[in-house]
Amino acid sequence: MATPTDQGALLLKRQLMDLQKTPVEGFSAGLIDDDDIFSWEVMIMGPPDTFYEGGFFKAHLLFPKEYPQKPPKMKFVSELWHPNIDKNGDVCISILHDPGEDKWGYERPEERWLPIHTVETIIMSVISMLADPNDESPANVDAGKDWRNDYNGAFKKKVMKCVRKSQDCL
Amino acid sequence: MADFMSEVARLDEETLKQIDRIQKEVAESCEFIGDQEDIDILTKQYLQDDEVYQAKISDLKRKYKKLRRTRGDGNCFFRAFGYAYLEKQLEEKTDLDRFKSAVIQCRSSLLSMGYPSFTLEDFHDTFIDIVESVNKASTSSAELLQTFRDQGLSDYCVCYLRIITSGYLQSNAEFYSSFMDGYSTIKEYCSTEVEPMYKEADHIHISALTSALGVSVGVVYMDRGEGLEVNEHVFPEGSDPMIHLLYRPGHYDILYK
Repeated sequence: MATPTDQGALLLKRQLMDLQKTPVEGFSAGLIDDDDIFSWEVMIMGPPDTFYEGGFFKAHLLFPKEYPQKPPKMKFVSELWHPNIDKNGDVCISILHDPGEDKWGYERPEERWLPIHTVETIIMSVISMLADPNDESPANVDAGKDWRNDYNGAFKKKVMKCVRKSQDCL
Repeated sequence: MADFMSEVARLDEETLKQIDRIQKEVAESCEFIGDQEDIDILTKQYLQDDEVYQAKISDLKRKYKKLRRTRGDGNCFFRAFGYAYLEKQLEEKTDLDRFKSAVIQCRSSLLSMGYPSFTLEDFHDTFIDIVESVNKASTSSAELLQTFRDQGLSDYCVCYLRIITSGYLQSNAEFYSSFMDGYSTIKEYCSTEVEPMYKEADHIHISALTSALGVSVGVVYMDRGEGLEVNEHVFPEGSDPMIHLLYRPGHYDILYK
């Protein structure tokens, strides 16, 4: 009989195989450690027509044993200047939060975690967050200020620096 | 501002930890689907001088013999529905082919609504595997019970039944939208009240799921409401119930004649 973690592990395995067989434009995915299906490493390409264009940003997706009932956590390993990514790289996006969490109470409910979400739908949301930050809940308050007050100056400069750094790391 | 935000975040963390603790306690006190028990056990759960409940329990005992308790984690309606129906079919096997095609029909309709096929197919295949196992002569009731006590499989069933419910509500938005108080769209209602795990089911969910799968359910209401008898409401209305559930405010268990 299956142990409780099997369903999530199987679902992750299938998604990984599928993503490697038929990659999706905009990101690539693999495991941090081949023996641990719950810890993923993804490489996200900076979305075109944004200051992030040309960057290759590495992030970790850490799935709980309760996946897909509970969402993974996502953390950028590459340095990234963005209002919704805190200075430790943790991604603060409502799709990665359970519907019950009050901290995000003011956000639209349809953006919350649901078991139906896939790695692909998560990453697509993160890519669209890169292009279009949520100004209401900046996890990086300074980046939020830059984005609002000095978009073509300080904000652009700090983002471009991250883009160059990410290219050097390749 | 930053201090305030971190204080809010800290309090939220505390609350989440507390919720986790409560969920663990609930988990330890009851299986997802319990063993069959005599209705009499309810008598002891309420005070002897609680006239309303004691009278209603006596009435319930006249109408039903046994009960199977389910875990009170907000998923109880979906889990009870899935288990009770499949348990019944384990004996009868009369409705399974129809049921299976209804489930397949739901999958096609969800795919056409744009649900990600990856997760949807995964939930679907797991659920259909369980349905097919019920169709086999070799499957015992102990095995079905084990399936529904396995968190991975059991939660997958709940997940899929929730999405089927959501799909039916969205396909019949015109009919259901008048019941969605406080929500601007049916989609918003579904992604807040239906699809997330641990969200309790009410009339709308029951009406949608029983209609979507063509499974008639009788819900016996036992609450502080007027009268000394329990009332049964059948979903969809006017049908002949295949299974019976006991509702006490906030919770559903399975009943047996």
